[in-house]
Amino acid sequence: MNKLFTKEYIYDEILPNVEKPGRYTGNEWNSIKKDTNSVFIRFAFCFPDVYEVGMSHLGTKILYHLLNEQDDIYCERVFAPWPDLEQNLRDKNISLFSLETRDSISEFDFIGFTLQYEMSYTNIINMLNLAHVPLKSKNRKEKDPFVIAGGPCAYSPEPLADFVDLFLLGEGEEILLEVMDKYRQWKKADETRIEFLKQVATIDGVYVPSLYNIKYNEDKTINEIVVKYNGVPNKIKKRVLKSLKGAYFPKEIIVPFIDIVHDRIILEIFRGCTRGCRFCQAGMIYRPVRERDMEELLEIADRLLDNTGYDEISLSSLSTSDFSELNKLVEKLMSKYQNRKIGLSLPSLRIDSFSLKLVQEVQKVRKSGLTFAPEAGTQRLRDVINKGVTEDDLIKSVTSAFETGYNNIKLYFMIGLPTETDEDVLGIADLAHKVVEAYYGVPKEKRGKGLRVTVSVSSFVPKAFTPFQWVKQDTIEELKRKQKLLQSAIKRKQITYNWHEPYVSYMEGVFARGDRRLGAVLEKAWELGCKFDGWDQHFKYDLWMKAFECCDVDPDFYVNRARSFDEIQPWNHIDVGVTNKYLLNEYKKSLDEKLTKDCREACTGCGINNLGEGGVCDEK
Amino acid sequence: MKNSNISNSDQQEEKFSIRLKFIKGNEVKYISHLDLMRTFQRAIRRADIPVSYSSGFNPHQEISFGAPLALGVTSNAEYLDLKLKSVVEIEVLVERLNNALPEGIRVLNGILLGDKAKNAMSLVTHSKYKVSLSIEDTNFEQLQKKIDEFLKEQEIIALKEQPKKGFKVKEVNIKPMIVEMTLLEGIGDRYSINCLLLCGSKANLKPELLLKSFSKYLNCNFYNVRINRQEVYTELNNQLVDLLKYAESEI
Repeated sequence: MNKLFTKEYIYDEILPNVEKPGRYTGNEWNSIKKDTNSVFIRFAFCFPDVYEVGMSHLGTKILYHLLNEQDDIYCERVFAPWPDLEQNLRDKNISLFSLETRDSISEFDFIGFTLQYEMSYTNIINMLNLAHVPLKSKNRKEKDPFVIAGGPCAYSPEPLADFVDLFLLGEGEEILLEVMDKYRQWKKADETRIEFLKQVATIDGVYVPSLYNIKYNEDKTINEIVVKYNGVPNKIKKRVLKSLKGAYFPKEIIVPFIDIVHDRIILEIFRGCTRGCRFCQAGMIYRPVRERDMEELLEIADRLLDNTGYDEISLSSLSTSDFSELNKLVEKLMSKYQNRKIGLSLPSLRIDSFSLKLVQEVQKVRKSGLTFAPEAGTQRLRDVINKGVTEDDLIKSVTSAFETGYNNIKLYFMIGLPTETDEDVLGIADLAHKVVEAYYGVPKEKRGKGLRVTVSVSSFVPKAFTPFQWVKQDTIEELKRKQKLLQSAIKRKQITYNWHEPYVSYMEGVFARGDRRLGAVLEKAWELGCKFDGWDQHFKYDLWMKAFECCDVDPDFYVNRARSFDEIQPWNHIDVGVTNKYLLNEYKKSLDEKLTKDCREACTGCGINNLGEGGVCDEK
Repeated sequence: MKNSNISNSDQQEEKFSIRLKFIKGNEVKYISHLDLMRTFQRAIRRADIPVSYSSGFNPHQEISFGAPLALGVTSNAEYLDLKLKSVVEIEVLVERLNNALPEGIRVLNGILLGDKAKNAMSLVTHSKYKVSLSIEDTNFEQLQKKIDEFLKEQEIIALKEQPKKGFKVKEVNIKPMIVEMTLLEGIGDRYSINCLLLCGSKANLKPELLLKSFSKYLNCNFYNVRINRQEVYTELNNQLVDLLKYAESEI
């Protein structure tokens, strides 16, 4: 089939046969159109999940527009095709295409993946295969695209080392453009593929896995990570923007036709988090804290409301309550936009600094439920994880919410946290019951009718670059037992109890702290038919177990094994700023149930301010 | 900032209703009815049209659409009714809205509705479609003959899927809902047919269902089917008129 015919064929003959064809049509308001003949670099920005998930991701929006603001670069979007479209493409031997031009992405210069969660890895393999691009780096030829990846999972990149040509560590705004610069020079000079990889590896934050050798010990742990060539860095430092003040933000963002998960303006108020919760990878890897200027935020909101037509803004950060001018910001946004019926939502509010006045302010336009995250059921365990909040905080917060008519509360918890006992698990039920009691403690005429308390319990997965990176994850059996124990302890009918599949948490655990030997397992699992592993209806645990068996890899080695403190971890050559010493100290403090202060109060010496030249923590 | 012409109070103002006619082109043929509504709501915000909002916890724009279009079908004649808080000249409104609409959606014109105007949705009784398709091993005369015979059937039983009843299949006689079916032209194996079908809340025949039963009747497959809605009608003094003409009669 010729190119033009293929494009029309996809549009007119294939899309009518698939579910939600609007996922693949492009042409949304503010999407970018360029003449492909007048650009020098074509970049396929791939999100390894469906459109509705990928289009909700702020980083994707930022980088899409950032690249497209370069005249000679055309960045186009690609999402994981749902299995119905995949089948159609395979039947007709049509290559995976971009939304903007419906060109095969195998012709592009770059295929870039954003790595938001481990369970999307098989989709990456599947998308490369659908694009007719060799799966493994080492099999790619001179004219093949470079496969590039970034995002939070890139800090523990080894399971994907076989498939990705280069990883970008840290915030993408600067490094991506630097890589594009190098590529321009390389493409003009018409040099070899390996030459580009060697050159690009000299950029701070670029990790080219094929330039490193991993040596193993007999017990399967890592002996040494060695560079293959001079000039390739031994440690790859993550990149951070020095400041968020004046940092790039798109003039406009795409407005999807179809309903997506977060269909609103996302206003990023700051990056990083100072709380230091010990289970939280985001809290460690996104350091340091940097806030955007209030005036800038207002200006961005104004501009985006005008050119998107959205009627809702959501403030985004790891801990909304910690924005230093939150009250002022909310007040200003509400007074400006209330008449235009613009809703405002504040996710990630903390229990201990909960301001009902603030929540009521934002819910003048639209009312919704309230969500809190105590994370653990007892004070002891909350101290272990350095969550800091108390039962008193929670009860006070929900009581004042009930007094003003709220009747819908969501509570987030984890099970499987280090040192957890049955008493801690039962504490979750206890806390949920106390919330119910708090509701009945409010006079009938004041409280709203029909209380609903949702208790969502996920299973803890230890992640790289956290104080718990050495611990053994709970086994599937243990998690199941705890889930049942908790279920049997929840007595009130007003409480809805949700839990996560422990099998998925197990697989997530494998890849979160995995090494290069998992590449073979990943490929095997994909061959056996694994994809969309983050979707319950597609996750196939038995196929995964078969893949491990075929590759002679023991998954328990990665998940259910306590690691010694001097073991070389698979991410040993990655530097996120936060030091191993700090993490270890935090782990020891956790065992002593000792709290570490918020670093806005006093520097806790995590090491992040030594990452760049001079201090980069926010001016507090 | 562009909220200058948006007034601060929504209460007890005189409201103005308008009806707009628009095209849904090939670029947006896979946008569902619900998504199309949302697309308009956002375009109306971008264009800063002084739309009126409902009151309550979740205020929404006072906007309603005519007969929904199936996924994959294009249209030259879609209609929507909109309530405004203040009067805007139709030409100005159309231009502003068109500048804020994605490629493939174009507002053609509009009309200010009378006080007692019925809404577009409730008016629709007929739709006219132009269908283009490829049929192998036939010719114009043969196909013409087949259409004539098809229309002479006492009953035409089609199997209709009912999405709201778990896609249970129901037998329906579609004969009374086919008002006209005319073969227009044939070039090579490509033919175009005009169909005037009942459409609306009382009786509704989708062109896809008609084609399915006709294909079964002919015992052959249709390829590269394209359907375009040409006009939507309502009845006025025993005549079919489009929804803008009807609005004129109401003033």
